[in-house]
Amino acid sequence: MPVTVATSPPASRGRTRSVAALWSLAALMLLVPLGIRFVNAGRAGGPLPPSYLPAFEGPRVRQAAFAAHRLPELQRLAPAYVVIGDSMAGTRIDERRLAELTGRPVAPLLHPGSGPAFWYLALKNWVIASGIEPRVVFIFFRDTNLTDVMFRLDEQFRWSLDLVAGDREDALNAVLAARTDRLLYQLHAVIEDTYQPDRARAWMEPALTNWPARQMIPSRRRRDEFFAGLNARFSFDHLRPMEAADIQILEDSQADFDRYANESALPLMLQDARRAGLALCFVRVQRRPVGGKPPRQSPALARYVEDLRRYLTAHGALFLDDTGDPRLTLDMYEDGDHIRKGARRLYTEIFHERLRHLFP
Amino acid sequence: MIFHSLDFVVFVLAFVAIYWMLPHRAQNVFLFAGSYFFYGYVHPWFLILIATSTTIDYVSARGMEARPDWKKRFLWLSVISNFGMLGFFKYFNFFVDNVHAVLAAAGMEVSQPVLRILLPVGISFYTFQAMSYTIDVYRGELRARRSLLDVAVFVSFFPHLVAGPIQRASFLLPQVETPRRFSPEKARTGFLLIAWGFFKKLVIADNVGVIANKVFALSDPTFYLLWAGVFAFAIQIYADFSAYTDIARGTSRWLGFELTENFDHPYMARNPADFWRRWNISLSTWFRDYVYIPLGGSREGNWRWARNVLITFLLSGLWHGASWNYVLWGLYHGLLLVITRARQILKPAARPAHPWLVVPQIAGMFVLTSIGWLLFRETELSAILRDLTLSPFASPELDRQAGIYLCSLALLYSLPLWAQSIWVELNRLAPATCDEDDEISVAWPRLLVQGAACGLALAAILVFRSRTSLDFIYFQF
Repeated sequence: MPVTVATSPPASRGRTRSVAALWSLAALMLLVPLGIRFVNAGRAGGPLPPSYLPAFEGPRVRQAAFAAHRLPELQRLAPAYVVIGDSMAGTRIDERRLAELTGRPVAPLLHPGSGPAFWYLALKNWVIASGIEPRVVFIFFRDTNLTDVMFRLDEQFRWSLDLVAGDREDALNAVLAARTDRLLYQLHAVIEDTYQPDRARAWMEPALTNWPARQMIPSRRRRDEFFAGLNARFSFDHLRPMEAADIQILEDSQADFDRYANESALPLMLQDARRAGLALCFVRVQRRPVGGKPPRQSPALARYVEDLRRYLTAHGALFLDDTGDPRLTLDMYEDGDHIRKGARRLYTEIFHERLRHLFP
Repeated sequence: MIFHSLDFVVFVLAFVAIYWMLPHRAQNVFLFAGSYFFYGYVHPWFLILIATSTTIDYVSARGMEARPDWKKRFLWLSVISNFGMLGFFKYFNFFVDNVHAVLAAAGMEVSQPVLRILLPVGISFYTFQAMSYTIDVYRGELRARRSLLDVAVFVSFFPHLVAGPIQRASFLLPQVETPRRFSPEKARTGFLLIAWGFFKKLVIADNVGVIANKVFALSDPTFYLLWAGVFAFAIQIYADFSAYTDIARGTSRWLGFELTENFDHPYMARNPADFWRRWNISLSTWFRDYVYIPLGGSREGNWRWARNVLITFLLSGLWHGASWNYVLWGLYHGLLLVITRARQILKPAARPAHPWLVVPQIAGMFVLTSIGWLLFRETELSAILRDLTLSPFASPELDRQAGIYLCSLALLYSLPLWAQSIWVELNRLAPATCDEDDEISVAWPRLLVQGAACGLALAAILVFRSRTSLDFIYFQF
C-alpha cells in the first residue's frame, strides 16, 4: 500500500507517514544486523575469549599464538646484547657485524610495524622471562614513539602484539586504559554486545577470503602452500623503495614529554628492567636528512628530547641520539627513514664506535 | 574531519539536530561556522586560504557589477589569486623538481630549494567551485551576491567541501538563499545514500584498496599480479570516490540541500565519450563549460576540436595531481576520444549496432579505462613503461594463480557494486513502467526492502570493514 508523501492533501497526514517511513527505515537498519547473532548461534564454539587488553578491545580470537619458541632460543644463544625495535632497528643493525665487533652474541628481537607496546612486551615476556642476562638491551625508536603507547596499535598493526603477549597483560592494560578513547571503546563494546560482529568476523572473513582459493585449489595442502607463497611474494624483499615510505609525520602536540611519559609503557620498561637487573639503552634514530642536513627539529621536539634524556638518565637508563651525527648522510638512506641494505654494516660500525664504552 | 570517523558521525548528528531548530538566516550562520569547524578540524590554518579565496571572489564579483568597465580586471584578480594559491600549494614542488631535473640534464648543478608544502585538502575542489561563481558573474549568467555569508556558505558547504561534487553557483547559491524546510522524504533518501556510501567505502573500497596497494608496492610485479592490482584499483577508485559523493549528497539532503550527481555507473560506459558523461560528472562539466567551450569546442572543424579535447584533458589530468603520470592519464583519455571520433568519421556505422554488442562494448571500454587507471595509479614513468611491456607468458605459476585469486577476491568484495550497475543499466534499457505518483510515494514493500538493504549494509560494515582504514583517494587532489 503506497504511502503518499508531503504533496497530496491532507499534507499533515502525508508528512506523518513520511516521518513514520523514515523511522521505520532507521529501525530496520538497526534490527537487521541482529541476524549476525543468529548466524553466530548456529556455529559451534562459545563466546570469544577476552582480550589480554580488555580496556582497549573486546573479546577476540588471537591471530597468532605467543611466540614461546623465542625463550629457548634466547637461552641457547645467551646473548650479551639484545636489540628490540621495528624496521628502524632492522635496517640499521647488522647483528652479525655487531657480534664480530663485540666478540659476543647479539639477539635481534625485531618486528616491522611494531610500536612501544610490542617493545615493552618483548622485553618483559621474551628477554626477562627467558632469564638471560644480557649486558645491554638496546631499544630503537623514532622521535616521540617511546612515549606514544598508541603508536601502531591500530587494527592494521595490533595483531603483532599477539606474538609477545601473555594471557593477561594487566600493567599494559592499565596504561592503555588511561589513553583509550573511552567513547569509541564503549561504543565498540556496545556494538559487540548487541550484534557480535567481531565473533562473526573471526570466521566469516577467513571464509570469504578463502573461498576463491578453495575454488581454484581444492587440495588443502596445496592451498596452504599457495598462501605461504603468496605471503612470501609480498614480503619486504619484493617491495619497491619509496621515499615516502614509513616517514612519520610528527605533530608538535605529541612532543609533550611530561604529559605522555607516565601514560606510556616507558615507566614499565624501566621498572621491569631494574627489577631484572638489566641495563637498557634507548637509541633515537636520525630521520631522513633533508637538503644534506639532519631533519629540522621543532623547538617542542628539541625540548621533548632533552626531557627524555633527563628522565632516562635519572632512571638509570642510557640514551643515544643519532640525530645530528654528520656520518649519517642521505646516501645511507633507502626509503623513508630506513637505512639501505648496503649501509647497514657502516651504521653498525658507527653505532659500535659511539657506544664503545658499552662494548668492553 | 573525515567522513568515516566517529568524530564526523557525532558532529553531523549534533549539527543536524541543532540546524533544524534555527530560522533560515541563523541556519546559514550555523552552516558557515560548522563548515569552517569541519575544514579546520585538523589544520586550522587551512581556513586562512579558504577565507581569502572566498573574500576575493566576493569582492571581485561585487566589483564586476559596481564597475562594469573594470569587469575584466576583477575577473583577472579572481583568476590569478585562486589559481595562484592552487598553483603554489599544489604545483610548486612539481615545478621546482622539474626545473631542477632539466637543469641537471643540461649539466647545470644548482642547489634545489627545500620547501615541502603541505597540500590543503580540497583546495582543487573549492577553488574550481569558487571560480565558477566569478566566471558566471563575469559572463552575466549570474548576479553578484550582496551577502558575503551566503557566498562563504556556498564555497565552504561542508558535506562536499573536501572532495566534491563541484557545484555551480547557479545551482547551489539559490538553495543557500532560499528558506529550507525539513523533509522526511529527503531525509529518508539521504539516509539510503549515506548507508550505501559507507558500505562502498568501508567494505568495498578499503578492502580492494589493500590489494591494489600491495600490488603497486611490488618492485617486480608480473603480468597477472599487475593487472589484478589494476582491476582492484579500478574498483577502489570508483567505490571510494562515489562513496564520498553519496555521503556528501545524503548529508546535504539531511540539511535540506540537493547536490548534483557525480557518477552514473561509469563502468557500464560503451565508449570514451560515454565514460566521461558518467565519471566525475561535476568536474567533466566544469572543464567542458570553462575550458573546452571557451577554446572553441567542436565549432571550428575536426582538427581544432581534437586540439581542444587534448588541451582540456591534459589540464584535467594536471588538476588531479602535480605529477607527469596524471598528465599522461589525461592525454590518454583525450586521445581515446579523438581516436573514437576519427573512427566514426572514417567509418560511420551503417545501421544501429545489435543490442548484444553492448556487452563487448562495455567490456572493451572497461579494459581501456583500466589501462588509464594504470597510468593514474603508477607514479613512476619508468614503471609504467615496464608494466605495459609485461608479458602474460613470462609469469611464474604462483604469480598467475595469485593474480587470479586477487582478482576474484576484488570481484567478490565488489559484487554489490557491479550488481547495482548492471541492474540500473538493464532498467535503463527497459521501458519505464512507473507513473508519476511513484516518484512521491513510498510503498511499504519497497520500504521494507530498503530497510533490509540498509541493515545488511550495516551488518557488512560491522563484519567485513577493512582493518586498514584508507583515506578517500580524492582527498589528495
